[in-house]
Amino acid sequence: MPFLELDVLNAPERTTLGIDLGTTYSLVALWRDGRPLVLRPKGRPDGRIPSVIHFPKSGAPLVGWPARDRAASDPGATLFSVKRFMGRGLADARTDLASVPFAASQTDNGVIQFAAQGRKWTPQELSALILTEVWRTASEALGEDAPRRAVITVPAYFDEAQRAATRDAARLANLEVARIVNEPTAASLAYGLEQRREGIVAVYDFGGGTFDVSILAIEGGIFRVLATAGDTHLGGDDLDRALVALALAEARPGAELEQDPAFLQGLRLSAERCKIELSTRPEAELHVAVPEKRFVWRRMITRAEFEQAIQPFLERTLQCCARARHDAGLAAREIDEVVLVGGSTRIPRVRAEVERLFGRTPHCELNPDEVVAMGAAVQGHVLGGGTRELLLLDVTPLALGLETMGGAVSKIVLRNAPIPCLVTETFTTYADDQTGIDFHVVQGERELARDCRTLGRFKLRGIPPLPAGMARVAVRFALDADGLLSVSAREQSTGAEASIEVQPMNGLTDAEVERMLKESYAHAREDFDQSRLANLRVELGTMLRAIEKNLPAARAGLDRETLGELEEAVRRAHAAEQAPDVAAVQVARDELERAALPLAAVLMDSVAKAALAGRKLSEV
Amino acid sequence: MTAEVSSALACSSCGAELATPLLCERCGALHEPAGAPTPFAALGLEPAYALDLATVRRRLLSLSRALHPDHHFSADARTRRLAQDNTAALNAAFLVLNDDCRRADWLVSALGGPRESDERAMPPAFLQEVLEWNEAIEEARDATPAARATALASLRTRLAHERTLAVQRVAHALTPLPARATPALHGVRQELNALRYLDRALRELAELELGAPH
Repeated sequence: MPFLELDVLNAPERTTLGIDLGTTYSLVALWRDGRPLVLRPKGRPDGRIPSVIHFPKSGAPLVGWPARDRAASDPGATLFSVKRFMGRGLADARTDLASVPFAASQTDNGVIQFAAQGRKWTPQELSALILTEVWRTASEALGEDAPRRAVITVPAYFDEAQRAATRDAARLANLEVARIVNEPTAASLAYGLEQRREGIVAVYDFGGGTFDVSILAIEGGIFRVLATAGDTHLGGDDLDRALVALALAEARPGAELEQDPAFLQGLRLSAERCKIELSTRPEAELHVAVPEKRFVWRRMITRAEFEQAIQPFLERTLQCCARARHDAGLAAREIDEVVLVGGSTRIPRVRAEVERLFGRTPHCELNPDEVVAMGAAVQGHVLGGGTRELLLLDVTPLALGLETMGGAVSKIVLRNAPIPCLVTETFTTYADDQTGIDFHVVQGERELARDCRTLGRFKLRGIPPLPAGMARVAVRFALDADGLLSVSAREQSTGAEASIEVQPMNGLTDAEVERMLKESYAHAREDFDQSRLANLRVELGTMLRAIEKNLPAARAGLDRETLGELEEAVRRAHAAEQAPDVAAVQVARDELERAALPLAAVLMDSVAKAALAGRKLSEV
Repeated sequence: MTAEVSSALACSSCGAELATPLLCERCGALHEPAGAPTPFAALGLEPAYALDLATVRRRLLSLSRALHPDHHFSADARTRRLAQDNTAALNAAFLVLNDDCRRADWLVSALGGPRESDERAMPPAFLQEVLEWNEAIEEARDATPAARATALASLRTRLAHERTLAVQRVAHALTPLPARATPALHGVRQELNALRYLDRALRELAELELGAPH
């Protein structure tokens, strides 16, 4: 197709960030020099950004490492795993709410809100804070403003409400969502499995808060998802909680502490540390202390104990794998490759179980924390017009349908249907002279509408009076490439129409998103400070690098006092690099600039001398 | 059944004959199909029950590569809309053609045969059989895990075998494609309705064995 090739050459590639918005950590990557590159600010080899938010007594919320650092000392003001609340109502999230140290309420449309710093925050707004921090990190790593366009990943098993919430979070973070991509599918792109001309790949993605398994057929650079299964409430968090439960059962800290979210969060952090250590050691300590209550408990946990505690969760992941394989119509031996994704796949027992199930040694060459963001960057490259060699054909994880008379569900789009997808089905009236139909759009695999998730309700009016069963109403379900649904209905004789942009329960309305955006403009001063801070840090980093590079050579040309001042300024600048407020970084920067002036003079001098050396006077 | 393939359309951009109304595979131009294309037309295949599924899959992949919204992300609004809509039509067509029962169901309706709801009455002997499966499934549900596994496996083997036979009968009746509205289509519709019962039972079995999705 020569035409298409030309098309590619003519369109300059617009860069697109790949963002893995994870339950416990987030990460950002970008396509650079022919490969996906995880963006890491200088001096931070670990590119992960903890998906943690800390609300200090005053000032802007802290996000990422600074928030996580404060979690241990001030767990009562720190929020973890906000992703678990995306697109969920209070009733859905009861167990998760137990360890949240903030009062929770919900909006009229069932969106959870947490009270902190005298206002209420929806999971969308909180995720937007994380995304803003992700963007800032990307900018810092790049040394310039990062692209505002992004591919954002979600668990494959996320439903409509959760996907819509993710999209809204990105809007609130002032990001343009190029595409919402499923995490396991993204991961398969990062592995460059297209090198293998044909094959079936299973991606086992056990992350911080969610589990997915996707089975893909790869053929000629096209990644086609055959089936996906998962659980949006099954992840490393649950493994931590298994240890927490063990600790609570043995330590018996008393009812008061057991109800104390701050205590529980502290214990959870200790459990997480213990879990991580157990991946490399046969035993590790689990401990928790509340000095003011004179409560201290510690004990060694063996790997065998840990494995026993987490076995029920592993069984659930294996069950999902079996179902995905069944849905794909494949036997275990027909799967050629298995890819491990997500931090929880570092656990030796997890690897062993996966290997046993599929009879294949799984791939784990790439850092399981980074593959999803890398894959998102690959997808960004594809969307930017960078290549036509690759293409991702994904599916919708859960059936979509309508409630019919008697409360049953008529499934219109089945699970694992490829997206985008457009299905039209004809319905009719059940009563004589019925002039309207109420549509109840649901998502889920269950047979009864009340067991499925409500996505929306709408009404079609203007049906001509006809005997029951005579009217013909075509209902159209359209799923776009992000897996987001719109539904419309049309009576065929009169052409009466009705439609909804599905705005699921537990989702924000457009008006709410608008209002939140306006409010964030009101916080523009703060945001301005934040971006000023990011820029100052970048500037400071650049100056430090330049000074450290040139100082050894120029050292001889500086007097002792000047040298001492400069070295002191460099030391302070390093200390101030991560300072949270603009003023401190600004002072360090200005001080460094002043102290570096003599160095600049020496350098100028030597450059001038070098330039002059070897030239005849007449040439100058 | 005749219109969609015989009226060879020409590409408005390069004049080449179009195999599918969704796009020109020679010059890559995306087209607005006049009305929803049939599943066969969408993939550019002759209507037939007997299809080589590998060919169907290759057509899906090759058309997806040219049509998919990801490959037209920076194009003008009209192209982007066509990429989305036409890929959706392509995917819907693939779902029909790639599945023995859905393909047969579509052909029976397109040939003017009875619809699913027109052929509600099933032979009593068959309904008796369905009752037996259901009883077997219910018994297995309450049995010990070991007894359950054996019972489910034996029932699954039996149902899978019956399914294979039913699909073969459908294939035979639809190859070559019968004349429009021929009475034989009633028989095919009955087979297809019986297949729905079979598939439902097989699905229940799978859910018992694998755990239901939630």
